[in-house]
Order: sequence, then structure tokens, then C-alpha cells
Amino acid sequence: MTLYDAKVGGEYQIRELLVEDAVTRRLEALGLNEGTKILILNRKKKGALILKVRGTRLALGKHIASHIEIREM
Amino acid sequence: MKDHIRVACVGNPNCGKTTLFNALTGSRLKVANWPGVTVEKVEGKTEYEGVEIQLVDTPGIYSLTCYTIEEKVTRNCVLEDDIDVIINIVDASSLERNLYLTLQLLELGKPVVLALNMMDIVKERGMEIDLHRLPEMLGHIPVVPVSAARREGLGILLHAVIHHYEEGMEEYLLDYPPQIEDKIEKLQVMFRAQYPTHAAQRWHAIKLLEMDEEVTKDHPIQVTDIVDRSYEKEIIQCKYAHIETIVAETLFYKKGRRGGTDRADALLTHPVWGIPIFLLIMALVFFLTFTVGDALKGILEMGLEALSEAVRGILQAVHTASWLQSLVVDGILMGVGGILTFLPNICILFLALAILEDSGYMARVAYVMDSVMGKVGLSGKAFLPMILGFGCTVPAIMATRALETESDRRKTMLITPFMSCSARLPVYVLFSGMFFGKYSALAALSMYVVGMVIAILSALVINRFQKGKANNSLLIELPEYKRPNPRTIRIYVWNKLKDYLTKAGTTIFLASIVIWFVLNFGPAGLVERPADSFGAILGRWLEPVLAPAGLGMWQIAVALISGISAKEVVVTSFSVLFGVGDAGNGAGLTAVMEGLRAANPDFGPLNAYCLMLFCLLYVPCAATLATVKKESGSLVFTLKMMAFELILAWCAAVLVFQIGSLF
Repeated sequence: MTLYDAKVGGEYQIRELLVEDAVTRRLEALGLNEGTKILILNRKKKGALILKVRGTRLALGKHIASHIEIREM
Repeated sequence: MKDHIRVACVGNPNCGKTTLFNALTGSRLKVANWPGVTVEKVEGKTEYEGVEIQLVDTPGIYSLTCYTIEEKVTRNCVLEDDIDVIINIVDASSLERNLYLTLQLLELGKPVVLALNMMDIVKERGMEIDLHRLPEMLGHIPVVPVSAARREGLGILLHAVIHHYEEGMEEYLLDYPPQIEDKIEKLQVMFRAQYPTHAAQRWHAIKLLEMDEEVTKDHPIQVTDIVDRSYEKEIIQCKYAHIETIVAETLFYKKGRRGGTDRADALLTHPVWGIPIFLLIMALVFFLTFTVGDALKGILEMGLEALSEAVRGILQAVHTASWLQSLVVDGILMGVGGILTFLPNICILFLALAILEDSGYMARVAYVMDSVMGKVGLSGKAFLPMILGFGCTVPAIMATRALETESDRRKTMLITPFMSCSARLPVYVLFSGMFFGKYSALAALSMYVVGMVIAILSALVINRFQKGKANNSLLIELPEYKRPNPRTIRIYVWNKLKDYLTKAGTTIFLASIVIWFVLNFGPAGLVERPADSFGAILGRWLEPVLAPAGLGMWQIAVALISGISAKEVVVTSFSVLFGVGDAGNGAGLTAVMEGLRAANPDFGPLNAYCLMLFCLLYVPCAATLATVKKESGSLVFTLKMMAFELILAWCAAVLVFQIGSLF
């Protein structure tokens, strides 16, 4: 499943980042790496979502979210 | 021992670099609680224990790569400028993410001092940091808890900076897995052979292994046998794995408590209520600006009236030539003074914007508006410069630097001037006050809504015709909410008021004099009636063009042309035209209205509304144009933008006037 299918309050683990290279590097620098645990804080039905990773909150748009593979914990 | 050292403040966005820089140097730079506030490096000075310390504030970055403008600026500053010590400011409440940059800075081999900021939030959240173990795990660099906002720990920090500089840096080696470490060592040897005088050799070796674009370009080394691919991913993962061990040993949670931020976000970023709440907040901001501001304005107006009378009295007493009396009182005092009476409105507007920015709400607006902006091909982040545009378009245009791509930047630059800036506020206050009676606040408020709608519609149209659309997805950190800091707010509002006063003293002062001359001199020299002046002659040429918009009066043409110098000058021109010092108060209003009616008996609310609309949309002020030219680097783009906005303003005003005239 991708991050875009994640549910509010759900805890997941990153499997793979499949966005453009430059965006991938930025996400990795922000601490979203393979195996990182994340918690979904809030999301819109179709669109951006807010997640907690390594103690900080990130808002990600639909395009990025739908290109991050995750697995449930 | 050197008697002066250069120190760079480096850290993640929003960790308090500028607050610390301001506290250390006594500077008054703008601070706000959202990522991307500082876009250029800024220098300042302080002294400690007889050592002069030159401080450089840098834009916030997450990483020493070179993907964004901010990263490039900061990285070049740390690498190339002769920085002696780096103060790495760390948001202690978000230690895990912040340490990633720290590990990269340590690899540079320069002395690093860690300033742990926001320890109060750490305490509030029931966390504890082992201040003894943390430096041990970071190669024994000094770690100093500070509070930039309350100015605590600053002396100890500066002491640590000087001391650490004199002691020098212990070499810090992060353990990479053997096959990567092996490559780094080989690269370092090759790098040293080719660039023996270069500092930060290990860092350069690591960057070569990451296939960093700039390092590879600037330091070409034949390394294909070692660097068979980019090892960036592995290197990042090693660093984060190392950080996880550091955090596990130094950070303790005493009690898990759900922070206030999460509770506030449940409401403010609600999927349904998020946008209505945002619109309500903005409506409240402008409502306060108009109502409370107007109440305070009366006091200033009385003062100005008294001053005008006194000056006129003095000039008459010393028998000054009557044209000079007119220039000073009708030209300068009325032109400049008329603008100064709007100071309370502007003060309240900036106070509200400062509170919004400092509380941490701004980053949420990017999230909340992402779906709307997505429809016009921009990410929610592009909405941040637009909100800043409510204050002043110039910093708003500069804030577009935080956007990822050049086409996003240009698109945002093009639509940002449609956000009603504080300079357009006097125009709205004056004309809505004159023609809309008790609905004046509503009429003025509608300008803000119309501006926003037109901005978004323009972006939509541009998006339709744009080729090769990129996927501009939102990516922004949402900071903790915090209580706005009074000092930060004071600096912010004072800076803005100072800008406004400076503008009144320079641009508007000059414009008042020029306008006075243009309206008092004609082909025959000094004229009795403005209708015979150069201004009138020029304005009459434009009357036919403006007539379909209900603005076919030479006075309005003159006001609009002069308004390009600064939008407030539209009001200045009316004050000078009709000899009203304080165009805002009762008597002044009547005089301007009478003047307008005398020149054109049909001039009514519809005409006034079209005038406001035209002022909102037409060519932005000279300062904005200069900024757009500088930031876009293209004169053609700037000229196209001018033409687009002029045509749009005319079409919109004509449309409203023609349809409105039917009723």
C-alpha cells in the first residue's frame, strides 16, 4: 500500500520511496528512510496529509504520498 | 589569539537561528514560526571577553546538499567564507531530526558548538536530555542549553565559541560500514593529492561518494572506479542509524503527554473546517484593521489639522511667498500627512500578521490551502507568499524563493500583487468611507476577497496554457504552536511601521512635491485652477480610455499614474487635488466628495468601487516591479506582467461598471 491509502491514527513503516530523485533525497534528509516508523496525524479525504516522523510533523501532498510505499505495523 | 572570529549560525528552518542572532547582536531581523523566513545570509557583530565576534545568520536548512536556494546559500557560506566556528542551533524538542544536520556539520572538520534551543518545550512535554552523554557521543563538542527568546545562556554560548575555537576541534569520525569507509578513505587520499590546500577533505570525499552535483563539478577528480554509483542513500541511512543510538541514550520520556499542538491541529487542520476557519481568521484580521484602526485614526487627524494650521500661520507670519505656502501646506503636509493618518490601520494589520506568523499557524495554511492551490497547479506552499502579500508585496515576492521550481516561482510572483497590500489600504479606507457609509468595512473587505479570487483564477488560466506541468507536491514541516513572543512581535511591527514611515518621508514626500507642481503649473506658468495644469492636460488624454470603466476624469488619470510610484500616492494625489490634508475625517471626506462631484456630477458608489478595483489590479508599485525584475532576472517577464495586470484591471473595471450601470 502507499502512504496515500493510510488511515488517520495508523502507525506504519516506510518500505520504499518512489518519488523523483531530488524529492527522495529531501525526504531522506528529513528522516523518512526505509524502515522509519510514522504515525498519521491528520489527512484530507483526497489530498495532503500530516504525519509524525522522528518527533516532527510533516505535511505531504498527494503526489508524494501516493509514491511512498508503506506497510502496516 | 585572534582578536576577531567569524561565526556562522546554522540550523534547521524554524529552530530559532534568527531569534538567537537578534539576541546576540541586538539586530532587529524578522523572525516567524514557519519554514523559509530568512532567505539570505545576514551579518552582525558582538563582543565577548575582548574578542570581536562577527556573526552570520544563514537560511534554515535540513541538510548540506544543494537542492534548494537556501541550502546553496548556507552551504557556500559555511564552506567558502572564512568561518572560524559554527554555532549549530538545534531545536531540542525535535532532537532526532536536527542532529542529522549536526552530523554533516561535524564532518566539515570545523569547530562546532551545539546550542540547544527550546529546552522549555522539552520540559513541558515531559522529556529529558542527558547533557553529559550528548557531547560525549558527538565528539566532545560543547553543548550549551540556551533560550534565544528569553535571552538565557547567551554568555555561556559565546564563551564556549571562543574557548572551542582556541582549543580546536577533535576529529570526529562517524562509523560507516567498512565498504563505504574504505571508499571514503581512498577518495580522501585522491582529493588531498589534487587539492592539498583545501579544508574539509573528508567532507569533500563523502560528497564525491554521494555524487553531489556541485562538488563533482567544482572538483573534477577521476573517481569512476571508486564511485560506481551514488552512495547517498546509504550515507543518509548510516547517519540516521547513528542518530537513533544517540537519541536512545540521551533522550528520555518521563511521561507521554499529548501536546497542545496536536489538539489545536485537530481543529485548525480539520479536513472540512480547515478552510472556513482560515477564511474566518483572515476576515477577523481585516475587520479589526478597518474598525479599530479607523477609531484610532481620528486622533492623528486632529493632530495633523492642528499642525497644518500652525505651519500655515507661521508661514504667513513671516510673509512667505504664497506659492511656497501652498507647496508646503497643500503639497507636502497634505500629501505626506494624509498618508500618516493611516498608520493605526497599518499597525493593526501588521500586528495581526505578526501574531499569525509567530504562532506557527502559517505552515498550517499551506496544508489547508493545498487542495485549492493544487487545482491551479501550485502546492499549498505557494500560498504563503500570497498571505505575506497582504502586508507588503516586496517581501512576499522574495519569499517565493522557498518554492522548489522556477516556473512555480514565476507563477506565484505574477499573482501575488493581487493580494491587497497595506499600501492599498488607504485607498480602500478613503473611498469606501466616502461612498459606502455604514457598509464601508464590507466594501473594503470585498476587495480582499476579489483580489484572492482573481489571483487564483489567473493561476488557473496560466496553468491551462502551461506546457510540461511538474508534480508540485506539498512538502513542509509543521512547527509546534507557541505563544507569540512579545519581543518578536514588537520587532516585526516596528520594522514594518519604520518602512511605512520611511516611505512617507521619501517616495511619498517626493511624489507630493511632483504632484503639486504638475497640478499647479501649466504651459502658462503658475495656474489658478488645476484644470489648466500640465497634470490636467496629460490626464485628459487618458479620459477616453478610462471612461468605459466609469473613471473618465483627468483627476483620476493623474492619481492612477502617480500611484505607480507607491499605491498610497493615489490618496496623496486626491488630497493635493482637492486641498484636503486629512482625507480620512468627516470634513476631508466631504471636501473630496464635493471635489469629485463638482468635476463629475454622476460620480457615485459604482464609480468609487471601480476605482478601488482598478487600484487593486493595475500595475504594482515601482518597488514591487524592481523586486520582480531582480528575483525573476528577466525584464521581459516583468514587462509582460505589467501589461497583463494593466489589461486585467481595465477589463475588470469596465465589466463591473457596465454591468453595474444596468441596474
